[in-house]
Amino acid sequence: MSVRATPFHTRAAAANPGNSWITRNGFTLVQEYSGAAGEAMAARSHAILADITWRWRIFLEGPQAAAFLSRLTTRDAEALTPGNAHKALWLNDGGGLRGAGVIARYGRESFLLAAAAPDEKWIAEAAKLFDVRLRETDEGGLAIIGPYAQAIVTAAGLDASLKPLAFRKMFWRGIDVTLSRWGEHGGFEIWCNADDAVLVWDRIAKAGAAFGIQPAGTAATDILDMEAGVARPWRDYQPATDDSGDEPSPKALRLEKLIDNEHTRFNGRAGYLAASPRHRIAGIEFDCETAVPRVALYREGAPVGRVLISLYSPALQRAIGWAQVETSAAEPGTVLSFLPDAGAEPVLAQVAGLPFLSTPAPIAE
Amino acid sequence: MSDTFDVAVIGAGIDGLTAAAYLAKAGKRVVVLEAQAKVCGLCGSTELRDGFLVPRVAQTLYALDPQVLKDFPSVQRGLAFAARDLAQVGLGEDGRVVTLSRDTNETVRSIALHARADAQAWPSFRAGLFRLARAMRSSWWTGEAFDPDALSSSNRATFAELQTMSAAAWLDSRFESGLLKATLAFDAAAGSLLEPGSALPLLWRAAQEIDGVQGAVALPRGSAGALAPLLSSTAIQAGATVQTGARVARLLVDTGSVTGVELESGETLLCGAVLSSLSRRNTLLGLAPDAAPLALLRALQRIPVRTGTALVTLALSDAPNLARGEAPLASRYIVADRLETIIAADLAARAGRLPDEIPFEIVVPSQLDGSVAPPGSHVLTCLVRPVPVAPPEGWNVLKPKLTAKIIGTLDRLSPGLVPDIMAVDVITPEDIADEDGVQTPERMIGPWRARIDTPIAGLYLCGAGVEPVAAVSGRAGRIAAALVAGKP
Repeated sequence: MSVRATPFHTRAAAANPGNSWITRNGFTLVQEYSGAAGEAMAARSHAILADITWRWRIFLEGPQAAAFLSRLTTRDAEALTPGNAHKALWLNDGGGLRGAGVIARYGRESFLLAAAAPDEKWIAEAAKLFDVRLRETDEGGLAIIGPYAQAIVTAAGLDASLKPLAFRKMFWRGIDVTLSRWGEHGGFEIWCNADDAVLVWDRIAKAGAAFGIQPAGTAATDILDMEAGVARPWRDYQPATDDSGDEPSPKALRLEKLIDNEHTRFNGRAGYLAASPRHRIAGIEFDCETAVPRVALYREGAPVGRVLISLYSPALQRAIGWAQVETSAAEPGTVLSFLPDAGAEPVLAQVAGLPFLSTPAPIAE
Repeated sequence: MSDTFDVAVIGAGIDGLTAAAYLAKAGKRVVVLEAQAKVCGLCGSTELRDGFLVPRVAQTLYALDPQVLKDFPSVQRGLAFAARDLAQVGLGEDGRVVTLSRDTNETVRSIALHARADAQAWPSFRAGLFRLARAMRSSWWTGEAFDPDALSSSNRATFAELQTMSAAAWLDSRFESGLLKATLAFDAAAGSLLEPGSALPLLWRAAQEIDGVQGAVALPRGSAGALAPLLSSTAIQAGATVQTGARVARLLVDTGSVTGVELESGETLLCGAVLSSLSRRNTLLGLAPDAAPLALLRALQRIPVRTGTALVTLALSDAPNLARGEAPLASRYIVADRLETIIAADLAARAGRLPDEIPFEIVVPSQLDGSVAPPGSHVLTCLVRPVPVAPPEGWNVLKPKLTAKIIGTLDRLSPGLVPDIMAVDVITPEDIADEDGVQTPERMIGPWRARIDTPIAGLYLCGAGVEPVAAVSGRAGRIAAALVAGKP
């Protein structure tokens, strides 16, 4: 398989002595620079720099762009004002979750949809029912995460006075960038033309040096995502890929907060409302430090589900993860157990409230 | 301001009126919403000029649901036939004529003039088709699901063939005479759009009956448009309200259930159920684009609708002479010389062109029914298919070309006809504007329920698009009404 480099590749490669790479959405990315645990901790104590070009982004433009997104997704895009964004889901005809992402309004007839996983065919097909065009973007994206993120962005000469989910196009000492706050970790994202990417990296690295910024790979951002209680499609759950069918239900994934109950036009609503899934995806804290394999979980000796994925959280000093458990066993605080090996003593685990750990507050300069 | 009804029926066509009559009879408060200025706009009849009464779309009846007539004696009483069983007459080039009538011996004699082997094959062909059609009837006549395993072994073998073969291939494997094959193949395209496609429409037509006569094609007195006013007055008498000039703009849907309709005038009508005479495509894409599931809408939008039907109607000052006395007066004439004519026409129509040789069916109702034309004068109607639905040139350009082509052919068949023409009327697929995609085997033999149901609760389809083959039958209306009335 060939390498599809992001615009930041030369800088990322130079900072990647371990030559640790991974492919995500077709892009070749650094998995870890100096060590995932240290990078994840740096996001809590200082700041990190992460290449997020891999995120799937598509512009939707045309007279019916707002109407289309309102039909497609679980929130009313027509109520968004330019320069603002919201998070929403899109469902198939039967109410099964196909994707989740950020919808940002650039102008009256222009929107950006950004998501962790592409769902191009579904959206392109549905868009044919409306007067709306889809346009891909090859911009590079760099996230600055951590308590000093705002200070670093300000020190780099950008106006960081953005509320969460807001974004603004800016002219930054000779280059055009978009500064946004769409991420899950309270940070900032800078979107730039591919040709300007190295310059953007260098400016942030330079401004951030005094604040201890360091580059972080996908392994560290995965830890942050899980600590923040953000389940990612394909890794943590299987999104719907068919046109109908009601699985997975947003209810099972606890994504109801991304559905506007006042918004009644979105596709799949009837199926969503009717669904009563027997299982939920629950966040689990394990009484151990090593990641737990896909083992069965028990409540008072009876099996109630199984682990989907887990990893070590350096901030919590224990393993955390996602499990599929029966709805009755999904309440935070429910005590569960699992057997790490055949014949071994059961180890305790507990359904956690989400997020596992909140994002640290920004530290002013 | 809004009114409240139990059921709103969209479209005062045969099926919509039938559904309304049944629902009103069952005690439901029903409103029928007709976009045209008068009831039976397209399914009724019109006066071409003083004294010439012509149908608007259907020129014969062959699929009328006997149960509807039984349940509504006023319709049965009112419907008189000028001819109950028209012979099917193929008109070839160079004056060749083949007559397929109820009388097997006469038919065999007529076919023998073209191909001796075909004449020998005819009796068992016809008997076999009719036998299988009778066995299949319940699936087409009632809401029951069809079970092919219940067929006898010989029927099952024929059914398997019909299901998988095109009408052209199936007829080609049985007969030699091009004229005979073309004459029979014309009916396979009965109101459908993917033809010469499946052979099943031939079987479906054989399963129909008029007045207890299997496979009959009848000509009602006062034109085929006489049925609609009878149904309309029956529905009104049963208590249904009929609103004309009431074009539905959109359906009102709340959380996946229909709650009413909004008219183009802005008026809203609240109701617990809606029956739509429009096709699935036009109902969901046209009236519920905000409520129907996106993937389904796209699937409907993707279905290409390419070929359709036109009706050319002439008022004549003298009698035409189409088969030079070689066919009975009570005939419908199929103008298609060879099987290739049908196939080539289909390809041309699908490509958006007018076929060089267009197959069509001629009926001269005035020769059997003095009430439709002044004495000595005649009405001649031509059902023309296939024609393109949306030709690139546009129908305003194609319409005169089509008319000239049909009149040119008629003049060859009946020399001296042109000077007798007093008036011409042409109805194009654009005027009908509700073609319904392809004729799939699923549609042909699938259960009615699946064709009537929609993903929106309380919304049902009851129009020609629900019929296994689009035709004037009233069956879709009857079965859809039964499904709705069965609901609390």
